[in-house]
Amino acid sequence: MSPVPSVMHGPERAGPVVWTGIIGATCLLLLVVKQMLWLALPFILGAVLYYILLGPMQRMVRAGFSRNAAALWVCALFFAIASLALAAAMTWSDGPEEDSWEATISLYLDGGVAFVRNSMALLEAKFPILAEMRLTSIVNMAFTNYTNDFAQNHLGEIVVGIVTWVPSLLLAPFLTFFLLRDGVRFKKFLARAVPNAYFERALYLLHEVDQTARRYFEGLLKLTVLDTLVLALGLWVIGVSSPLLLGLISAVLAWVPFVGSIAGCVLVVIVASTDAPGNPLMAYGAIGVFVLVRLLDDFLFMPLTLGRSLHIHPLVTVLMIFAGGILAGVVGLMLVLPLLGVVMVIGETLGTLVTSPRLRARHRYARALRTRQASVDLDIARERRGAPTPNAGK
Amino acid sequence: MRSRIIKQTTHRTTLEHYVIFRFLKPPRMSPRLHRLKSSSLFAALTPLELKIVDGLLHERRYLKDEIVFDEGEEGQALYLLMSGRVRISRLHEGMTQVVAELEPGGFFGDLALLDNSPRNAQARAMEPCEVAVFFRADFLGLMETDAVLGYKISLALARHIGLRLREWMGTGRPQLEAL
Repeated sequence: MSPVPSVMHGPERAGPVVWTGIIGATCLLLLVVKQMLWLALPFILGAVLYYILLGPMQRMVRAGFSRNAAALWVCALFFAIASLALAAAMTWSDGPEEDSWEATISLYLDGGVAFVRNSMALLEAKFPILAEMRLTSIVNMAFTNYTNDFAQNHLGEIVVGIVTWVPSLLLAPFLTFFLLRDGVRFKKFLARAVPNAYFERALYLLHEVDQTARRYFEGLLKLTVLDTLVLALGLWVIGVSSPLLLGLISAVLAWVPFVGSIAGCVLVVIVASTDAPGNPLMAYGAIGVFVLVRLLDDFLFMPLTLGRSLHIHPLVTVLMIFAGGILAGVVGLMLVLPLLGVVMVIGETLGTLVTSPRLRARHRYARALRTRQASVDLDIARERRGAPTPNAGK
Repeated sequence: MRSRIIKQTTHRTTLEHYVIFRFLKPPRMSPRLHRLKSSSLFAALTPLELKIVDGLLHERRYLKDEIVFDEGEEGQALYLLMSGRVRISRLHEGMTQVVAELEPGGFFGDLALLDNSPRNAQARAMEPCEVAVFFRADFLGLMETDAVLGYKISLALARHIGLRLREWMGTGRPQLEAL
């Protein structure tokens, strides 16, 4: 019965075997995510919304509301406010508009194409070698081929994609609601399955996983707000229409590393070139603003927000982003860092648990106690089978 | 006077019928909440606060002789004894020294709520027991989001540690270093 000095004195650093396991498990999870894309994207959106709404919901619970009512109220209020804000942003657009949305989209696309053609012509005028290469006609031909075959080759895919993804994305609000309502219950459910010997460490593990995900998504939100504000300010200064809405869309697109930034830049340039068709300087200015914001983002905002959230070595981060892109495409790029953060916490904690001889010994001892307790009356029955039954004559 | 009371009661009942006013109604105290309130740690909490704390507690069951935590282990949680008995002991100059034997309503491992220093004693079940576990991160989260609730528990904790200090100074029992 003498207390044994413990072998656990604070968290230990993970070794190369654990780290190999962490990277292997992350890659495996990325492959699984690729196969379950329809669930992965709504889950990301649901998690972002969950961390936004968790604080207000907890305040309502403290005020005496049930978890169910509080989750329902905060979800309903959030989506009502978001819908109103989106409607206001669409209504207050001061850019060029047509009667129908199809015509407006066509107007902006034409503006983008005109900008590319003007730029090609300008380049040919400045550099005669490009004129000799017939750069404008090559680009024009590429555009014509793409637009001619667009309906035949791509429209079907786009329509099927929208039909597939809209119901899937509608899962996000439901996931948010159930995460808010049952998150604590689910955590308790998981903790209940852990043996007593490992219980405190398991609680710590669950807490750390939650904190890692929370830090990542909160960092992502802060980054989005910063990006939106700076980009909106820059676009407003050079005179692009709806700068706040454009800034927000570009900042959300930037959640996907590399690809999202390019898509955001293309969007901004299209709007700028349509706003001022005769003034290509506005579109160039928009590109300049975008590049400036990306530089600020990479060297200032990201280290201040996301960089602090995961505590992963920068080299590992970059390599894993490439691995994520190769294994699971765009979604891999987007998910590799939070997945790595969570798997890292789980791997390091499990490594500590598995390699702790004292905890394993305590678990074996507890199991032996339970086995003994469960079989105590069975042992007596076996003894009775050998001995004469006291009540046999009655 | 009587008719006024009836009128007030009727008015309250009418209000409670509306979902929006349901939060005004104090939650009913279940037997479990009564047991929690009987502990000195949660004695000052209102029924609503008890319900919030209860939502954060984890339940564990231990068999006779099973170890709850070891001396030297990193402490992550406080344990509130709901039933059964627990012995707190520590190794002193190669000998096992019994620090305390706790009854239902008692709590142990409380210093883990304040920091993550190693446990100073071992806790072992003396008979089959049921404990409620209060995880440190949940307590710290509660302090941040609900200062009043956090202050009530902290005050109870400070009083408990002060009591142990006075007992130790009066009797020379080694309770101060333990837990």
